[in-house]
Amino acid sequence: MSESKENKEGLLGSTSTRRDFLRIAGTGIAGAFVTLTLGCATMVRTRDGKSLKVWATPSGAMVQDPNLCVGCRRCEAACTVRNDGKVSAYVARVKLSRNLNYGVAGVTSAYAFADGQHGNFRLVAETCRQCAQPKCGDACPAGAIKADKKTGARVVDARRCVGCGACQDACPWHIATLDPETRISTKCSLCDGDPACAKACPTGSIKFYTWEEAEKLLWGADATSGASAVSGATA
Amino acid sequence: MSQIYGWTGKILRVDLSTGKTSIDDTMKYKDFIGGEGIGYKILWDEVPAGTHPFDPANKLILGAGPLCGSGVPCSGRTTIVSLLPTSPFHGPSSSHMGGYFSVEMKYAGWDAIVMEGKAPKPVWIRIEDDKVRIEDARWLWGKGIFDTMAMIGSQMGKEAQVAAIGPAGENQLNMAVIRTGTSHSAGGHGGILGAKNVKAVAVKGTGSVKVAADRAKFMELDKFMMSIIGANNQMVVPSSPQPWAEFSDRTSRWTGRPGLFWGAANPPVETGVCDPHDMQSVGFRTMKAVFDLGASAEKYTVRMGGCAHCPIRCHSQLKVPQLEKYGMDPFVSNTCVGWSGPRGVLYNGIKEFDGNGPDSSIVGNAIGTTLVDDLGVWCNYGQIGRDVKYLYTKGIFKQVLPAAEYASIPWDKLEKGDATFLIDFYDRVAHKKGEIWHIADGSAWIAQRWGLGDEYWDSKDNKLWTRGGYPVHHSNEAGAQVGALVSCFSNRDSQNHTHMNFIGSKLPIAIQKEIAGEIFGSPDALDAPMDYTKMNVYKARFVKYALVRGRLHDSLTLCNWMWPMAVSPLKERNYRGDTSLEAQFFSAVTGVTKTEAELDKDAERVVDLFRALTVRSMGTVDMRGKHDAMNKWIYTPDKDKEGKEIPQFTKGTIQMEKADLDLGLGMVYKQFGWDEKTGAPTKAGLEAVGLKDVADELGSKGLLPV
Repeated sequence: MSESKENKEGLLGSTSTRRDFLRIAGTGIAGAFVTLTLGCATMVRTRDGKSLKVWATPSGAMVQDPNLCVGCRRCEAACTVRNDGKVSAYVARVKLSRNLNYGVAGVTSAYAFADGQHGNFRLVAETCRQCAQPKCGDACPAGAIKADKKTGARVVDARRCVGCGACQDACPWHIATLDPETRISTKCSLCDGDPACAKACPTGSIKFYTWEEAEKLLWGADATSGASAVSGATA
Repeated sequence: MSQIYGWTGKILRVDLSTGKTSIDDTMKYKDFIGGEGIGYKILWDEVPAGTHPFDPANKLILGAGPLCGSGVPCSGRTTIVSLLPTSPFHGPSSSHMGGYFSVEMKYAGWDAIVMEGKAPKPVWIRIEDDKVRIEDARWLWGKGIFDTMAMIGSQMGKEAQVAAIGPAGENQLNMAVIRTGTSHSAGGHGGILGAKNVKAVAVKGTGSVKVAADRAKFMELDKFMMSIIGANNQMVVPSSPQPWAEFSDRTSRWTGRPGLFWGAANPPVETGVCDPHDMQSVGFRTMKAVFDLGASAEKYTVRMGGCAHCPIRCHSQLKVPQLEKYGMDPFVSNTCVGWSGPRGVLYNGIKEFDGNGPDSSIVGNAIGTTLVDDLGVWCNYGQIGRDVKYLYTKGIFKQVLPAAEYASIPWDKLEKGDATFLIDFYDRVAHKKGEIWHIADGSAWIAQRWGLGDEYWDSKDNKLWTRGGYPVHHSNEAGAQVGALVSCFSNRDSQNHTHMNFIGSKLPIAIQKEIAGEIFGSPDALDAPMDYTKMNVYKARFVKYALVRGRLHDSLTLCNWMWPMAVSPLKERNYRGDTSLEAQFFSAVTGVTKTEAELDKDAERVVDLFRALTVRSMGTVDMRGKHDAMNKWIYTPDKDKEGKEIPQFTKGTIQMEKADLDLGLGMVYKQFGWDEKTGAPTKAGLEAVGLKDVADELGSKGLLPV
């Protein structure tokens, strides 16, 4: 895990965060003032009177390389054993199972040539992007999703989660998942800096990347791993 | 109900005749572990002797065990139990498939699905967690398995896992499969689903398998397992010299090495050094494409695939663009006999055909696999090819097929090794055209139908093990009497790799013998290849171990193509594995603490129940004479170039000796507490493993040995 990113709290952790913040706020940063600090997220009030939560930059995110993935789903098992004491594909924070057969797009008439086991064998696991401005966290009515102080990961505080599923609906990739057995939301916490999925992967397909690297991989500009277009970026 | 770990606690029962579903309690079957054990108990209790496999009164159980879905390495298998159509007495049998089906079934909340009765019209069964619906299959009936799965996926959601039959199953071929995923087939029970009018079972689960153990401890156990696991079939020596390895053996399935790639990946992926201490390379070590299909398969390999929660990827997933010439999709996947069985019909091998040049073999393999995986034909562990060879070369087809039919078959392609013969052949078989399709009745039935006599059974080339109509599967070539005797007790090919996952490890024989000594009491339990000695009690213990662990794995459900872990690739462990790992994982996952010996005892109960089912099916206690009797070729001495007999137990021959095998059978019977004369379970023996009700019923039918 990148040491250099660990303590970068506040608004200006990276150019991306600042850029996104400026876009979302629709105004100059000089006009904002801090009203409340929530873990590593910060509530600000903009010059035009809007209230906005601004998030610390995460240290990084998990990214899977579909070219290396062999579809064993050990990532999902390790994720849920470590975090939930049980094994579940649906709850796992690495979303491979749902794309295993027919890819992210699902069954199409050209399924035999599309992603997935029944197609071209390309296996895409969607992972949490630890978004600069996470829609899950912004949507949570209970303030249960916060940036972890150590890793910057956007994590669910189970004590505050009310089980409404707003995070799951809000996430464009539906990564956050309401556990149907506990009625508590789950999402990638980066395992406190020691991700279980990466350790369990038998081909090194899923790895932790610093936020800059992850951003390039997940948002389509492939610069670091040699992987082809990765994850839900193509969805 | 208190929290159950490992098992889900529920069995789904589907009465197809009435359309009603109900829930049964798994825990009443816990003495039989899960999967195969539960299946046999249900067969014993609920399916009367003499039932025809295709009769509505027969039941079919799709089963998983307590470790399935828990993430334990190599735990993704499904065990199917029912009566077996190819068996001449319709005996009980299990069939097995890998993939992801049983894991999804567990997450939907079910340890097993029991199907009984017969639907009035074609249906498929839709399971979404605890919601079960019987759906109209009129649009699916007649379709190949690939399109069937896609149509169900489009209705139910892309994550649904499907087990389905093709036209072969619909047409109630004895040799039909139930298939899941892209390449995982369970042989022999497809026709039963067809007879029940069930095209497919599809399942989606949002639940979980609960793990009892402390999370960190469970993850530690997984880490340990990952350090001692080998390549496919627990081969722990690489095929080429590597910096970390003391030994190498070019026949090993540990084929990953520097310079060998998944050549059709984009970009190509190097399999590399695969040091066993590097957990992130475990998935590269079994580069099965080049092992199964030859060096030219490298450039066609997209990657290696396999089953849920298994780090050893034994299914080669290829892009073979030439398939499009034959109207097939270019992506094809399988492993081992999934390749060699279907194309084995081309008994002269695959020669260059149809402009496919030197890669004709790859193209031919891919055509065969694609055909049987879509049509759902079972190869009876490769027997279909040997049967074609025998029937054609001996002129029997010419006698038994109507002249017009015989003339319509492109035999010239068969002789020339042109793989397009397979397209014609499997179409006739799967769709029951003419007379030739009866080849899929299975060997025991064609012997009756086409009047094949002793020559057929006793031919060494035919490799038929008993008159039960099934072939060798790691038999006398594998550990002498150990493999030979392991092969006698099932009603199909023995499907037992317990012994192979040890003696096939590729470790030097001296080390293997040391380890055999530690497990079975003497290094004499294991002979060096092609250098056999007479039967002894340690070999009998090895046979019992192989049979017991086979049932254990198919009940837990773990993959018997990897487990048990008797050996490891680690020099620092002196290449020892850990045979207590099944018990350690069982205890960790279920919270029910069992020692290795205790868990083996539970599995022995499953072996005994299976034996009792076979006795009841055959209606005789004479297992030695009527069931276990091996075909003559097995104990007929080979001849040298001068035509002189090579005596058994001389170096270089693997032929067995009749008296020695008879002695061996008795020694194995004794290990199980069965009657040494007949090989049938005894009253005392059955009661000792908690099967008093079974003993009572056999007693009432006069089926206990005197």
